Amino acid sequence: MSAADVLAILQGAVVTVTLSLIGILIGLPIGLGLALLRWANVPVIARVVAVYVSVLRATPLVTLLLLLFFALPNVGIAIGPVSAAILALVMNTSAFNCEVWRAALMNFPKEQYEAAQSVGMHASLRFRRIVLPQIVRVSLPGLVNEMSLLIKVTPVLAVVGVVDITRAAVRIGAETYEPLPPFLVAIAMYAPIVFALVSLQRFIERRQLAAEAA
Amino acid sequence: MTNDMAVLDVAGISKRFGDLQVLSDISFTVTRGETVCVLGPSGSGKSTLLRCINWLERPDAGQIYLNGDRIGINNGGVVMSDRELSRVRTRIGMVFQHFALWPHLTVLQNLMEAPVQVQRRPAAEVREEAMALLAKVGLSDKADVFPARLSGGQKQRVGIARALAMKPDVLLFDEPTSALDPELVGEVLLVMRELAREGRTMVIVTHEMGFARDAATRILFMDRGRVVETGPPERFFVSPDTERARQFIQRYAAG
Repeated sequence: MSAADVLAILQGAVVTVTLSLIGILIGLPIGLGLALLRWANVPVIARVVAVYVSVLRATPLVTLLLLLFFALPNVGIAIGPVSAAILALVMNTSAFNCEVWRAALMNFPKEQYEAAQSVGMHASLRFRRIVLPQIVRVSLPGLVNEMSLLIKVTPVLAVVGVVDITRAAVRIGAETYEPLPPFLVAIAMYAPIVFALVSLQRFIERRQLAAEAA
Repeated sequence: MTNDMAVLDVAGISKRFGDLQVLSDISFTVTRGETVCVLGPSGSGKSTLLRCINWLERPDAGQIYLNGDRIGINNGGVVMSDRELSRVRTRIGMVFQHFALWPHLTVLQNLMEAPVQVQRRPAAEVREEAMALLAKVGLSDKADVFPARLSGGQKQRVGIARALAMKPDVLLFDEPTSALDPELVGEVLLVMRELAREGRTMVIVTHEMGFARDAATRILFMDRGRVVETGPPERFFVSPDTERARQFIQRYAAG
């Protein structure tokens, strides 16, 4: 295995991290938006969201991805492998995020919300100043869990031709007939990515604890 | 429509939860500086009445006026939007049974939140007033502490200070001492007595008969969703007009 091969896997890592980040950053607020629609019990829409979330949670990511990549062009929507990959990741992760956010919203103490109403805070202030800071804290472990799962399902994106860490390793193994080194390098690359994410979570939690101890 | 001194005018409020008629045609007026204690057996609708006043609960019928302004229904005769209701609610303070402090904010931040965010007043000025309020409820040293570190009595005193920070026209207390350990009730009642002495306009739902007896200017006795009797505490506790009130007082006197 040459230096060029390691570089190829590193390029795969850039793809993995980029697609994961895009999926996370878009999926997080969409998940929250979906959860809010359900929480607010918006007529009809809340039901539609519930069905959407159920269907997506039951659909394997690979199947969803293949469907998007091969079926969308059939109905006249041109879609490249990267766009299909991002769309599939966002649809999948937003459904799971929705449930994490929703659990936090449902458990939010009603009296605290009423206290915010009683001092004259309107709906968006109540949400931004009182509800959101608290549900972020409660949801953080669940959200980070979902993010690390998302990072680890990115190898399935290879089915539409995206070259991520794993795909790069497979290629090198096939060319050199020595699959062990590239796969070890691949595994060694996932670990720091997920570790960085978990460290970020720890950092945020520690900062909150420190603030409260003061 | 209402007399000049009326801060709060409740006229014919009714509320039903499913099959249960919680409030039936409740009417009363609170004049400036009055401390009205709402008494009655549990389930008589006292808390619901309080929650209808600031429209945390939407009454089915009747009108509520605050200093002559209709609450809940706007000039066009339709139910107020969230924004309109929010504006009216800034003038009505509420103290909750379980304190309902915001745990992610310090004590001082709990007090400053609404004056700064809702009334958009300068933070420095609000901070000064908030510190004065904390001094008043005896918690100056707790300004930068989070609510989780406080005792129940301290939490409720913060709850009262938070309501006062908005300088409301009227204060509503929803069983403010019911969730407290007995030895912590006194410190909260002390603060409330002080407010009564200052002539704050207050409506207090409580089971503290001693407090009602010597701090209230008027008693509103409720049973099964109706105001059964109303009058000054001296008369209510000594010679109530109704048999139901007499039984209620006796039960409490017995312990």
